[in-house]
Amino acid sequence: MMALVARRLMTAIPTLLAIILASFFLMRLAPGGPFDGERPLPPETQAALQTAYGLDKPLWEQAWLYVSRLVQGDFGPSLVYRDFTVSELVAQGLPISLTLGGLAIILALLIGISAGLFAAVRAGKAADKTIMMLATVATALPTFVTGPALALLFGLWLGLLPVSGTSQGWSWLVMPVVALALPVSGAIAKLTRAGLATVLKQDHIRTARARGLPETKILFRHGLRPALVPVASYLGPAAAGLLTGAVVVETVFGLPGLGRYFVQGALNRDYPLVLGVVTLYAALIILFNLFADLIYGWLDPRMREG
Amino acid sequence: MRALFSRDHWPLWVVLVLIALALVLPAVLPWTYDQIDWDAVRAPAFSGSHIFGTDEIGRDRLARLAAGTRVTLMVAIAAALVSLIVGIAWGATAGWVGGKVDEAMMRFVDALYALPFMFIVILLMVIFGRSILLVFIGIGLVEWLTMARVVRGQVMALKQRPFILAAEAAGTPPLTIILKHVLPNIAGVALAYLMLTVPQVVMVESFLSFLGLGVQEPLTSLGILVKEGADDMDMTPLGLLLPGGLLVLLLVCLTIEGERLRDIYS
Repeated sequence: MMALVARRLMTAIPTLLAIILASFFLMRLAPGGPFDGERPLPPETQAALQTAYGLDKPLWEQAWLYVSRLVQGDFGPSLVYRDFTVSELVAQGLPISLTLGGLAIILALLIGISAGLFAAVRAGKAADKTIMMLATVATALPTFVTGPALALLFGLWLGLLPVSGTSQGWSWLVMPVVALALPVSGAIAKLTRAGLATVLKQDHIRTARARGLPETKILFRHGLRPALVPVASYLGPAAAGLLTGAVVVETVFGLPGLGRYFVQGALNRDYPLVLGVVTLYAALIILFNLFADLIYGWLDPRMREG
Repeated sequence: MRALFSRDHWPLWVVLVLIALALVLPAVLPWTYDQIDWDAVRAPAFSGSHIFGTDEIGRDRLARLAAGTRVTLMVAIAAALVSLIVGIAWGATAGWVGGKVDEAMMRFVDALYALPFMFIVILLMVIFGRSILLVFIGIGLVEWLTMARVVRGQVMALKQRPFILAAEAAGTPPLTIILKHVLPNIAGVALAYLMLTVPQVVMVESFLSFLGLGVQEPLTSLGILVKEGADDMDMTPLGLLLPGGLLVLLLVCLTIEGERLRDIYS
């Protein structure tokens, strides 16, 4: 197990570095700079700002400086939110995005696995077909449609939940989390259902049945665990999807998470802010993939060696 | 061909009818999608010549829906074709050559799968301006991964089949074998996955447009219409519900049809 973690971390570092450098140079190819305002600044001021932020040095040197500071945990100053460092902005945004994403994946797993289980037990019956149809519909629900639609129904019409901001207790979390979780839960339900259908036909299940074990025990002790292997391998892409969805949800519900800083930063050419957010996103996704691999090994012992 | 008319293929027919409407409506409607009716701002549905009413600056909703659907589907089909070409080229090469090359090529695909790709696409949009051409090249380049995996698997299985071995033994050059014997045999599966790629691409395009990074005004797409509707939903909920519902209907039908084709061919 430790060997697997170590090997994954060995590939994670170059991957992360490649993403950081690729985004760094892409960003610099862009026309326009962070100091373009409504009114053009005098050339002297422009030059002074460039020097102050080190933007006049050769690109490679800037990239090297950036990475070497990053290693020490310094994301640099934000160029647009002038009084803040990127670390400060990220420290504000990260907890919100992590809460949204974390709750969404938990909710999606709960709904998805139970729906898949329920459908598999009633394989071929009307309940199975209905659930699978609903799951397909759920996977096709984009967050930028469900988000505003939920806000319209529960926020504006019924007045049950707040439409924007993070103020009132936990109720602001409900709609963003549901909008994020829906498509993922649909996909998980389908994977669970398909996984169980294969597993329940296997010999060890027939043996368990022949020995007269109760059906619930067969399902939960012997069926579900191997059936969840495809779900575990879906967790990596799901995490990437949730982070992307979070960008929309944060915009729709006016939440100051990482996603909003990313979009704003990209539009304002706030290089350090965008790089910082991309780096964090990439690190989170890599970390989550590692976590998914560990779950994979726990679900299917044969995978632990490979 | 007659199978296409069976009841099972209703999603395909829904999509075809929507495409036909998107193509025909702009020609027969009295309003164009960017024409402003100064006498009817935020008109309710069925008022005068505006069947679904008008938006917050007096543009006909139905005309905008038709124009938006057309742009969204055009981008989606073009991008899906880009992903088809890249995916087949990559997957067929990896599957055919095999060995170390295959391993390296598929490792690359695995690595890309794990990346926050959406963010790179957003960066691309910001950097190179928001041309519609770039939107679909960008999306197509992201969505080819699954196609590459599927094609590789199919090619590897085909390679062992006697008729391919016979062609090799007869000295047929590899490129001819791939083009004449391998590709026709994977066309069905590729078509099924192409069908599944289209809703993915529709989703990405609308996502970008929703954030204001995709298709640009005065051109419109379903994503832009959803965005406009969401901004004005407290005044006119119809502005959100119509394009949102249409988008979901398209995505659901394309997904169901794609999954059915996939189950048939694999």
